Amino acid sequence: MKYTQNQITFMQYIFLIHGVQVGVGLLTLPRELAEKAGTDGWMALIIGWLFSTLASLIIIQVMKNYPNGTIIDLVTHYFGKWVGKISAFIFALYFAFLGSIVFIREGLFIQFWVLPQTSLFILLFLLSIPSYLIVRNNITILGRYAELMFFITTWMIFFYFTPLKEAHWLHLLPLIKEGWEPILTAAKTTIFSFLGFEIAFFLYPFLQEKQKASIGIVIANSLTLAVFLIVIIVAFTFYSPDEITQYKEPTINLLKIVEFKFLERLEIVFLSLYIFVISTTVLPLFFATVFSASQLFGKQDHGKYVVWLLLLNLVFVFFIPQSFERNRQFQNVGEHFSLILVYAFPLCLWVYLWVYSRMKRGLLK
Amino acid sequence: MLFFRKYRVKKKHQSSFRIENNDFSKKIISSLLLENIAEIQNLFSETPDLVVKNFVIKQTNSPAALVYLSGLTDTKTINNHILSPLLFEADKEKKDFEVQVSVGDVKEKNTWQEIESAILQGNSVLFIDKENKASIFDTQGWPQRGIEDTTIESSLRGEHLGFTETGSTNIALIRRHIQNRELKMKEITVGVRGNLKLTIMYLADVANPEVLKELVNRINKLDVDSILNAASLAEYIEDNPYSPFPQLFLTERPDFAAAEILQGRIVTIVDRSPNVLIGPATFETFFKSMDDYGARWLVASFIRLMRYFGFIAAIFLPATYIAVIAFHFEIIPLKLLLSIGASRERVPFPPFIEAIVMEITLEMLREAGIRLPAKIGQTVGIVGGIVIGQAAVEAGIVSNIMVIVVALTAIASFIIPNYDMGAAIRMLRFPMMFAASLFGFIGLAVGLMTLIAHFIALESLGTPYGSPIAPLRFPDWKDLFIRFPEWSIVKRPESTRAIQRLKAKSNRSEGDEH
Repeated sequence: MKYTQNQITFMQYIFLIHGVQVGVGLLTLPRELAEKAGTDGWMALIIGWLFSTLASLIIIQVMKNYPNGTIIDLVTHYFGKWVGKISAFIFALYFAFLGSIVFIREGLFIQFWVLPQTSLFILLFLLSIPSYLIVRNNITILGRYAELMFFITTWMIFFYFTPLKEAHWLHLLPLIKEGWEPILTAAKTTIFSFLGFEIAFFLYPFLQEKQKASIGIVIANSLTLAVFLIVIIVAFTFYSPDEITQYKEPTINLLKIVEFKFLERLEIVFLSLYIFVISTTVLPLFFATVFSASQLFGKQDHGKYVVWLLLLNLVFVFFIPQSFERNRQFQNVGEHFSLILVYAFPLCLWVYLWVYSRMKRGLLK
Repeated sequence: MLFFRKYRVKKKHQSSFRIENNDFSKKIISSLLLENIAEIQNLFSETPDLVVKNFVIKQTNSPAALVYLSGLTDTKTINNHILSPLLFEADKEKKDFEVQVSVGDVKEKNTWQEIESAILQGNSVLFIDKENKASIFDTQGWPQRGIEDTTIESSLRGEHLGFTETGSTNIALIRRHIQNRELKMKEITVGVRGNLKLTIMYLADVANPEVLKELVNRINKLDVDSILNAASLAEYIEDNPYSPFPQLFLTERPDFAAAEILQGRIVTIVDRSPNVLIGPATFETFFKSMDDYGARWLVASFIRLMRYFGFIAAIFLPATYIAVIAFHFEIIPLKLLLSIGASRERVPFPPFIEAIVMEITLEMLREAGIRLPAKIGQTVGIVGGIVIGQAAVEAGIVSNIMVIVVALTAIASFIIPNYDMGAAIRMLRFPMMFAASLFGFIGLAVGLMTLIAHFIALESLGTPYGSPIAPLRFPDWKDLFIRFPEWSIVKRPESTRAIQRLKAKSNRSEGDEH
């Protein structure tokens, strides 16, 4: 009952989850898929969607056992205070890690594409200002932000219909060129692209209409799939299968050919606006971090932790030089964590809770 | 950071510092006339406009004194309806001791505090010998102007009566629109020295009681000498005093105020101020004008879309220009780039300096134009026009394109129908220009993000300010960017938190029946 003050609507719930899923990953996704599965990569995407949807549904099933609390409250309820504290610590660490990787990568992209002469530290400091202003508020504000940003940025997908004029659909054929193996390898990458739905662990208690939680998370996943599919298919049909692997961020390079009478080099405008898309990934992750941290220390107000988190990021960037490779390495580490925390942990918990409730019912009989 | 969300109570001094708070407040008048007159003269020393008229009431043959302030009272009422009946009429049949005058509003009070404030408000007070209470007659009549056409918010089809400085007149102007007994009023007096009367008007079965309570609480917390106009009251009670956006709506139009009351909002009439305060306001309220409802819906929608476009242009146009010229000139197609380059060829300054010089000049011209007498104002216009339009360009200080950008920005900001919002927008473009000059498009994007971060968290009387945009409420979009035909809007906006949502039945049949 303690979260009834700040609630999020069904739409905000969808766009929060969708926002966390679509972020920096999309920029490099076409290349990563093409490297592993050639132009069959889009099938891997659907497999990834299947997995993530399954995992999301399990998360919702788990959360239904304790509808008025976050995952931390749930663990505390079933396993005691100390296990709860540990879980709060792990979640805070996980989300801080994930959020910071994306946050720093955001800065790296800006530096690489738009402002090559500005130091990463200054760029991140600049981005920290709006981040602080949003994350220090409650979840309702974050929901509003995600919702508004979705509608502000969603029209950018229409840019991708221009390259379709020169698309070669034959690039997609034949289907399953080299058997299922490369597709399954690529599916491992796509599973990570869909990461972000685990934010539902923290959104569930705030949702107004809890009976719609499952539908909402499926819609969010599907929306993400739609965005990914459009970009991937445009990239695969526009570039030849070999050419696409030569670009670091084919998603941006695609826009180089879009020209208007009054505007060229659209990718610069696009990337400036893409900051908003990335911010809908970073900010909920940061929110989950500071929320867990405030639960860990038993404080009500999480505003202070936002400052600490952002400062930590800035210090980290200031003293340790950053590069895409380093960021990538960090991400690989994070992805292993994710597999445990997002796939294995809810599954185990679900089975445990199922057995637990069965036993309890058996005892009562 | 800058934006503290919590509403602060402005309580800096204890009231005892300002007004000598002796036992006088509860002191009761004496039954001896002479003592009372002495006390009055003691209270109002060095007050030449105080009139103490001693006479004998013919009816009862008892000595009496009438006290009033000469400038604040209506002399005709006093002469014809108080003095004349008391001096000349004798009604022998009346046995009980009750003075007979032909004034409607008569009150009887016996504490000095009440009598003092009654005199100061323009009432006249009658002391009678051997009576331990005084009669207070409503004889208020101070210098005031008549009702005139609205000056700031002029309109084509709307009502041509504007609010005046007299609260009671303003109440009447609104009441003419809403002849319903659910239109309730709460009176609150504010200000230790000013004694300002605020009247809160609302529809009892529509307005949200929580919002009303919040507003009343905030007003009750005020402890100030005086508040001189509605705008400064707004500054005292708004949710976030550090926000660039106005959070309460000021209007001088009775029809607009009445329309907002009907929507479920609450109007505060500030006596002595020709503006009233409407709350809770939302961002979109500031983009509406009464003429939107006077024009056909297609035209009104077009105008409204232009306003929102103007809003975006006024904030971002100069900043975008700076960002493009200073950082991202590669996004401009070659032909356009060449013409911009030709125009900037002789300009020695970076675009930011160029823009700042022009914007500041324009703002100064605008400000000079407002407060100068009309005759000199024209001169300013001519000087400004020549300086901005020609000389600066010919001298090579600014480029032609910059002049166009600045002019467009100015026009775009003047299209906003509300003065406060227009001023806020004109202010906001300076930080945007600064950010753009440092970081190009990224600075702009971060600036916009900061603005949005502030915007979505802002509230007005505890109601989301961004509604129906953030939080998204699609049913309310019928009266947002596009104004749907009036007969199709049957519900009150959710942003007013009205307890009665339905305001009309769809009184139009579908299709083209006759």
